[in-house]
Amino acid sequence: MTAKLRSTLLAPTLAIAFSALLCALALLASGANPADALGVMIGHVGKGQVAVDIVNSTAIYMLAALAAAIGFQMNLLNIGIEGQYRIGALVAAIVGSALVLPPVLHWLVILVVASLAGALWALLPAILKVTRGVHEVLSTIMMNAIAFGLAAYLIRRDMFGILVGNNVSTEPIPDSGRVPGIDLGDRGTVFGLVFLAVVVAAVYGIVMKRTRFGFELKASGESPTAAAAGGVNAKKMVVVSLLVSGAVAGLVGMPEILGRDHAYTLNFAAGYGFAGIGIALLGRNHPVGIAFGSLLWAFLEKSKVALDNVGVPREIATIMQGSIVLSVVVAYEIVKRMDLAAEQRRVGRALGTAKPAEQVGGDGK
Amino acid sequence: MTDTESEPAQPPAVALTGITKRFPGVVANSDVHLTVRAGEVHALCGENGAGKSTLMKILYGMQAPDEGTIEVGGEPVRFRSPAEAIKAGIGMVHQHFMLADNLTVLENVVLGAEGLHGIGRRAKARIRELAGATGLDVDPDTLVERLGVADRQRVEILKVLYRGARIVILDEPTAVLVPQEVDELFETLRSMRADGYTFLFISHKLDEVRTIADTVTVIRRGTTVGTVDPRTVSSRQLAEMMVGSELPSPEHRHTPIGDDEVLRVEGLTLRTQDDRTLLDSLDLVIRSGEVLGIAGVEGNGQTELVETIMGMRRAAEGRVLLAGKDLTKAGTLARREAGIGYIPEDRTRHGLLLTQPLWANRILGHQTRRPTARGAMLDIAGARRDTERIVEEFDVRTPGIEVAAASLSGGNQQKLVVGRELSGDPVLLIASHPTRGVDVGAQAAIWDQIRSARARGLAVLLVSADLDELIGLSDSILVMLRGRFVADADPTTVTPEDLGSAMTGAGSDRVDHIEEGETR
Amino acid sequence: MRFKRGVAVTAIALTSVLSVVGCAKDSASSNNSSGGQNGAAGCQTVDKPPAASGQASTSEVATDVDASSLKVGLAFDIGGRGDASFNDSAAAGLDEAIAQLGVKKENTKELTATDQESEDSKQTRLRQLAREGHNPVISVGFAYSEATKVIAGEFPNTQFAVVDGFVEGAPENVTFLGFAEHEGSFLVGVIAALESESCTIGFVGGVNVPLIQKFQAGFEQGVKAVAPDATVNSRYITEAGDLTGFTDAPKGQVTAKGLIDQGADVVYHAAGASGKGVFAAAHEAGIKAIGVDSDQYNQPTVAEYKDVIISSMLKRVDVAVFDYIAAVAAGDLANLPQVFDLKVNGIGYSTSGDMLSDETVDWVEAYKQQIINGEITVSDTPTTS
Repeated sequence: MTAKLRSTLLAPTLAIAFSALLCALALLASGANPADALGVMIGHVGKGQVAVDIVNSTAIYMLAALAAAIGFQMNLLNIGIEGQYRIGALVAAIVGSALVLPPVLHWLVILVVASLAGALWALLPAILKVTRGVHEVLSTIMMNAIAFGLAAYLIRRDMFGILVGNNVSTEPIPDSGRVPGIDLGDRGTVFGLVFLAVVVAAVYGIVMKRTRFGFELKASGESPTAAAAGGVNAKKMVVVSLLVSGAVAGLVGMPEILGRDHAYTLNFAAGYGFAGIGIALLGRNHPVGIAFGSLLWAFLEKSKVALDNVGVPREIATIMQGSIVLSVVVAYEIVKRMDLAAEQRRVGRALGTAKPAEQVGGDGK
Repeated sequence: MTDTESEPAQPPAVALTGITKRFPGVVANSDVHLTVRAGEVHALCGENGAGKSTLMKILYGMQAPDEGTIEVGGEPVRFRSPAEAIKAGIGMVHQHFMLADNLTVLENVVLGAEGLHGIGRRAKARIRELAGATGLDVDPDTLVERLGVADRQRVEILKVLYRGARIVILDEPTAVLVPQEVDELFETLRSMRADGYTFLFISHKLDEVRTIADTVTVIRRGTTVGTVDPRTVSSRQLAEMMVGSELPSPEHRHTPIGDDEVLRVEGLTLRTQDDRTLLDSLDLVIRSGEVLGIAGVEGNGQTELVETIMGMRRAAEGRVLLAGKDLTKAGTLARREAGIGYIPEDRTRHGLLLTQPLWANRILGHQTRRPTARGAMLDIAGARRDTERIVEEFDVRTPGIEVAAASLSGGNQQKLVVGRELSGDPVLLIASHPTRGVDVGAQAAIWDQIRSARARGLAVLLVSADLDELIGLSDSILVMLRGRFVADADPTTVTPEDLGSAMTGAGSDRVDHIEEGETR
Repeated sequence: MRFKRGVAVTAIALTSVLSVVGCAKDSASSNNSSGGQNGAAGCQTVDKPPAASGQASTSEVATDVDASSLKVGLAFDIGGRGDASFNDSAAAGLDEAIAQLGVKKENTKELTATDQESEDSKQTRLRQLAREGHNPVISVGFAYSEATKVIAGEFPNTQFAVVDGFVEGAPENVTFLGFAEHEGSFLVGVIAALESESCTIGFVGGVNVPLIQKFQAGFEQGVKAVAPDATVNSRYITEAGDLTGFTDAPKGQVTAKGLIDQGADVVYHAAGASGKGVFAAAHEAGIKAIGVDSDQYNQPTVAEYKDVIISSMLKRVDVAVFDYIAAVAAGDLANLPQVFDLKVNGIGYSTSGDMLSDETVDWVEAYKQQIINGEITVSDTPTTS
């Protein structure tokens, strides 16, 4: 078990160390001192509301990464999280502002609406995939473009938008629909929906590990042919996993909208979906890995402001995010092969013979 | 005619000395010595996993040896790629053909060797010339997809000859051929041998080895155990060299067949999307305690039949009934739940989740049933317990149930699959090539398990390319050709040769031919 | 080699344009930069309005104050200093304050937003500036409105300003520096109508947001005021929510190319750094372009295309920033204009390069005076879209 834990931690540690080294070199090349930059990045966490901002962002990234991970489990690349969460957020903001309900019920309705909208946005790619064989990467990318267009249309002043200065926003969600946070005074306010991310991660972890659905999802991902022979309905799994992925993606915008903005505005942040894909890779689709990956991502994201403040090119944080994901993928592959070889060695030793299956690693991918 | 004999001092065509190759955790080859004289057919025999393929990959430049030397024609060589091996006159015909179906024979042969004789008339002339000289007669302009297995093999051999090979490695060339085709292949090899070609013939079919080879080298557990003259040793002796112990043989043991009809297939018809008929109105019945064997050259619908009965393909017409219950519209899972166990023909593709631990593989196909599941939740403790049971009962050689399926040997993987599929009291077992690619020990164990399950009343549909296995295990045999049952045979009287004839559509006295429209 | 081919292509394009024009109007001169009857060359125009009368007032803010004790923090929107657009213009205002008001350069700090950043990053940026003692803290872009409102609450003794910003319920220490972009766009619309040969005019907006719609609205009204029959085709590079429309020159070029293919021979852009692509397209097709925000004829980043920039709509963010700093130094924020418009020279147009005839300038000045006098009210929302 400790050996397993070690190999689980080895890959991300190697990757982070490698990308830190890469960034240090980039910093040196640009004439900055890497140690100072790191000091600023870490010191920044203690200032103002940064720590709370990191926690809040972590929750958002977790939701996005979990949405990506659900697809990854069966080798579906849901690139459409970006569009799904935008549509989810916008529709939820519109519906939420139009409803008058008792507080807790009001949040729940908004969350359900956001999920449904996200799932709906994933439905078309799912149908296209199982009926026409259209690759989900293509269809979800296109759905992203449509989502942007639709969002821009729905927020027009002749639709659901209202003008606030030079900004356009949906009608604000009434108090009953706002999820209270944990007010830490000068330190900021932790979004109430941070706990939503924790709950979703926990449910995801249990489903993947303990339920038939999770097993079928993983089996389909590892070997579609073996899963089919084992009675897993591949088409159904594609549809269900894309819909669930979309439903979780629909929640990505909720912590900010119900916790702070109370409306969908032109300033609604983009890019969480793509970050989520990277973080899911980083966290190896494991809920705890995703939580730590999100934390790291949020830390790097927030450090950009601090780096800019001391005149260090903040692109270094972006470089680090990218290089971590890349090196993690490489490191996992290396560690996986090392592990498999080690296990074969172990099996060989234990049995006193040394005969591997002729097709180690098999196809099925 | 050959000048080989007039020059006895000619150096060996290939000499491998002290070859050792280690993979992580495994020594695939250790201290292998192999000397192949020019102009002979040299057979390399050994069980699956004995290290034959690795050795040939080393000789062909696909892998580099950790130790040892290779000499070709007396010159030490060090190949870094197959291209270098080809340049030295060594060609390899793989067990799985590497041909592009949508190209012609000419295009397949020339592909990648365009620099030799161009791609046009000169190339075609060269192919005709080679084909004429060697008897590998194939029309260069035919599309490969129209060719049968034997013709495809000829194309593969032509491919290496076209590139100038004088030493040809044949990796289990007879595995895909029916007996008559094997004879034709051997004729070709003999005439080419007379022309001075050298062959390295990899096989574990001892009769064939004895028929064609001038010299036999036996390899066991990664090392050469001896080189013998096949005329002076018996098949049994050879087999014992290979296995290192006494050889099990599949012998027919009769057990009574019950009266209960377990599987009934009526008018089963399967078509491709472009309306080609793969299964043509098939009927069959299997009773409890009966093993029905399906013989046939691969690609005549056996795979499709099995997958259609399993619900992995949708039949166009016909019905599938299990113990009287109509399963025609049911999905694979429902069919499994109704009591069908399924040993797929390719365990790594269809039977196992290779990176998952053994206990997770126990769940596959049983994810809705006890002891591995309870409602929508998995019962992981139950799965582990039952995996321990399988490991025990089926003698799966593993240090534990937490190891990944990929780290087991092929035979142990297959024993795990067989154990799983016999779990949960199935009434019908569909076994596709259940002992393909497993070692002799595992083979015997799997036969025993199938026999004892049959004795308990299990109905078995057995598809196999190993005719001895079919004859040894089955209570009756149906021969399949182009999606239809063309003959049935009594395993107590039929010989592999009779079956082979029937498989190609030729007649034989000891099989009963099924006429069009006749229902069995 | 590449350069030469480019020249050749341009030359061919130019020739073909000229020959088409020549065929269409064989008697008229196709060169209208020499002055004279250019107004009649393209569109059917209305009667020329009466010559300018009355005077534009200038901003009342004093320029002789001493601002040497101020620590000024500037938070840019995406693009930052060097975007050849309104961030640059704000930076120019700060530079002007350093030069004229005695603000010490070492007492200033400039931070820049990242693409796709979240609201809390904006807050953190402003909080950093305020905590380090910067006063005033000026942010550029309406996206800072909400964040400024929050942070101004946390730092009641610090002055905050938001260029283009507005939000309800902001504390008293927040000043919104708004502009009447539609008025200036009206004037360059007049120019476009007079300069067009084909009477088809293009507008390229960066992102389809209300702020940029103000430019479109004013421009269209300006064109129609002069030539009611003229066609104005307006296109946006990206829709709301995708801010790359302000930073993507290649997309700007493609968008402008589309308009040119539809017949436009004068193109006005309000697309930030994407405008460079608009100029490139105009240059390639040999047509005229109108810049935005600062005097783009003199802007180094687009110098290679300066020959096509006949005018620019000036949005004097520099004036607003400069005036604001001066007002903070003087402790006199009350006298800052509510809106920086034509009247206070917060908005204008440029004639650099002398590509406008005196006749055209007369027309524009006449309309300008009518707007200042209130005889013409320019709407800030487009009628079409």
